[in-house]
Amino acid sequence: MLNNENQGRRDFLKGTATGIGFGTLASMGLFSYSPLREFFLPKIERKFADFGACKSIKVTNISETSWFDNATLMGDIKGAGGLLVNQYDFNWAPFGDGTGLAKGSYDRGIATIKHLLPEKVDEAWDIQKKLAVNADNAGGFSCLMDVERLDGSRKKYLLDVGWNYQWIHKCFKREGIDKMLASGEIDTIILSHEHFDHFYGLPVAMKYNPNVKLIIPEGFYKEGLQYIKDSGHTGELVIAKNGLYEIEPGFSTYVFDVPIICRVFGEQSIFANVQDKGLVSITGCCHQGIIKFANTAYKELKYDNDQMYGIYGGLHISPFDDWDPKYDDLVISLGKWDFKKVGCNHCTGLLTAEKFIAAGYPVVKGTSRFRSQSHSYLGNGDIINFG
Amino acid sequence: MEQPLYLEERSLVKRWGGPWSILLNTAFVLALFYASWWIFQDPRGIMRMYTPYVGYMWCRWLLVIMIWIAYIFDFWPFKRKWLNETHPVVKGVILTTLTVVLFTVVLKVFFETILGEYSIAYFSPDRLQELGIVEFYAEEYSAQAILMFAAIASWISPAWVVAAESSPWGNLKQPVKGFTILMFTFFISVIVYFVAFHSHMAILFDPWQSFTAITPPWWEDFANTVHGNFNIAWIMCCTVIVWIHETIWERYPFCMIKTNWLRRCSSFFGIIVVAIALSFFLYYAQELVWGEAVRGTRRLMSPDWRWLHVGEMAIFWLVPALFMHFYMKNGINGYSKPVNALFRTVVSVIAAVILYYVYYKTAHLFLGTQKGFSHPQQFPMIPMIWFINIMLINYWFMDGWPGWRLAQHEEAKQDVYAHDEVRMTPRFNYGLAVGAVCGIVVYFAVVYILPTFGNTFTIFN
Repeated sequence: MLNNENQGRRDFLKGTATGIGFGTLASMGLFSYSPLREFFLPKIERKFADFGACKSIKVTNISETSWFDNATLMGDIKGAGGLLVNQYDFNWAPFGDGTGLAKGSYDRGIATIKHLLPEKVDEAWDIQKKLAVNADNAGGFSCLMDVERLDGSRKKYLLDVGWNYQWIHKCFKREGIDKMLASGEIDTIILSHEHFDHFYGLPVAMKYNPNVKLIIPEGFYKEGLQYIKDSGHTGELVIAKNGLYEIEPGFSTYVFDVPIICRVFGEQSIFANVQDKGLVSITGCCHQGIIKFANTAYKELKYDNDQMYGIYGGLHISPFDDWDPKYDDLVISLGKWDFKKVGCNHCTGLLTAEKFIAAGYPVVKGTSRFRSQSHSYLGNGDIINFG
Repeated sequence: MEQPLYLEERSLVKRWGGPWSILLNTAFVLALFYASWWIFQDPRGIMRMYTPYVGYMWCRWLLVIMIWIAYIFDFWPFKRKWLNETHPVVKGVILTTLTVVLFTVVLKVFFETILGEYSIAYFSPDRLQELGIVEFYAEEYSAQAILMFAAIASWISPAWVVAAESSPWGNLKQPVKGFTILMFTFFISVIVYFVAFHSHMAILFDPWQSFTAITPPWWEDFANTVHGNFNIAWIMCCTVIVWIHETIWERYPFCMIKTNWLRRCSSFFGIIVVAIALSFFLYYAQELVWGEAVRGTRRLMSPDWRWLHVGEMAIFWLVPALFMHFYMKNGINGYSKPVNALFRTVVSVIAAVILYYVYYKTAHLFLGTQKGFSHPQQFPMIPMIWFINIMLINYWFMDGWPGWRLAQHEEAKQDVYAHDEVRMTPRFNYGLAVGAVCGIVVYFAVVYILPTFGNTFTIFN
């Protein structure tokens, strides 16, 4: 009798243990991907943070050609060990030390030119041409943002400072950036992120105004912070924390804690609210992704007409003319955000721009000058107006 | 009469009492893992194969070849005498070298030459370069296609032995049995590859290769992405569930079925059903913690990465489950088979959550990977599978050396645990019904607390 009871209890426990597994797995399979699951999903509550408005914004493309030959750059990346290798180890200019690909270091590289910065940037680059790997392939990304305030006054900001000292120096002179820096007309530089092609050209800007205010996103490594000092910067350094950083009414940066290739971490992009038009997104590389960027604005910010109005910059989709089906997801889904003006270039990738055009998106075409490769892009020297 | 596999036949005993064998092997496996990681995979190391796809392809394929050697060919052409008498370190070196050589042949001859040169260009990096793809991406694309094949094979190959019990070829002798099962599972894997991944590869190129593949892929609307990661998700879960079924579940509950064909079919397809349920839940868990995925975004919020992360999370579960099985004799053995399986599941899931947390918190500090969840080059599957490979080398090829050794004849049965037979009695059925209700409650309790849990245990601010 006792044995029977015991056996019955044991059978019950075995059944219960089996049933728990069965019930849990059945619920997982039947409920987790059904429409009913939305009941438990966090609800999106739009915050409508008011960051003001500006009247218009004009963006001048100083340089979007970060490198001139994809195969050369990718050859370097492959040779060094792939996309996760620390960017300061590549032996790329301006941190070349003559030891060859993937054997570089910030300290050894900067020691070869530090005494020339920031005054003799062209001479420093000549030294690096001999020491660094493929220095001539370097270009850089930089653009000028000219904000028209509601009272009609104007204010200029520089986004990023390129890579190759000599190339970006030439581009600065072509667009008059050297004079704007020297006169204080540009007194703030926003660095989107720490990547070589957006950041390494810093000494060229410092040559004309070392006292300029620098706004960088959190996530810079110690080498990057040291480079800011070694470039000759003497002005205010603002490290923007993740989230919204308001610069002036209608013009803010937004920092994303995004992991990026070559060991870089964190990027800030710019939101501008143009009166009666809507939101303009200006990006360096947009490693966070343009849809994430737009979706963040949708959830966090208040902007005119509740309209996504324009995009300018690198959208980091196929920067090396590579492709992945997830980029097709982006091309397919961008349309629902209803942007009215798309000015893309740089790491957007030519193939992406062509797919955007084929999908019927309002891509603003460029003039293909100053070594920019295609009319599908807003190229070097091109201007786009929002507002 | 079917001969048991060598791995089932052999018996291992600890060299030392207490926890010393476990601790020693853990240290040994970790040391081997880190040294080999540095030599082969680490972006700061020597060969830097973590590009990531080249390194990923190698670790996936080494796993498949080890399964072929141990499970499908049952160590043929090596004799039992050699396996029993050779020093474990010598065996480990020889069998690991054989694994690498076999994959090199499969890679260079089958994929890159036979397929890549005469059939489908994307299997050959050289062909892709000739077509204008830069060298780096030519190798990455090719490796991606080849590793997707391995993802399928690492599910189908063991599933046929473990779930389908090698049927109907179980009684054949080696190597006929091995080659027959290899050919058959390879055939199935080819079909699954074309259905699950060929369309993904076809839209890697511009224009979409619409005449050679279904574009957009058939799963687009269901998965909210055109990316093949949707299939990676459920296939990875299949791989994981095969091993969970074989190890900590001891083939329960399907082993209750006495009719051979029914048990084998139920096991094979049951594993797929459980894997799909798991993949749906792991996707949902991410939605509960991070919010609904937004198509077209990158990384954390994108549906394609979420599906990939389903597979990654499943692998985080497999590591502690295999560790429990190899080095702790499944850890919990004092109860009936269903209760043991339930407790082991709970313990291994908790261990997986801890491993997940610790990995993301620290991996970038010592593996050379990128900080954060969703970087395109951050594949926790690579270090996890690499670690599993090292455990398999240690346990399958080296008989658990140095902490374990092959048992002598008289020691062989000492670790066998006796279990009650599980029968469908009325009390069992009553318990089953009560347990099913409890299981549903457990599920919804987990769903309810996951958002809070996610907010409490923030890995990256």
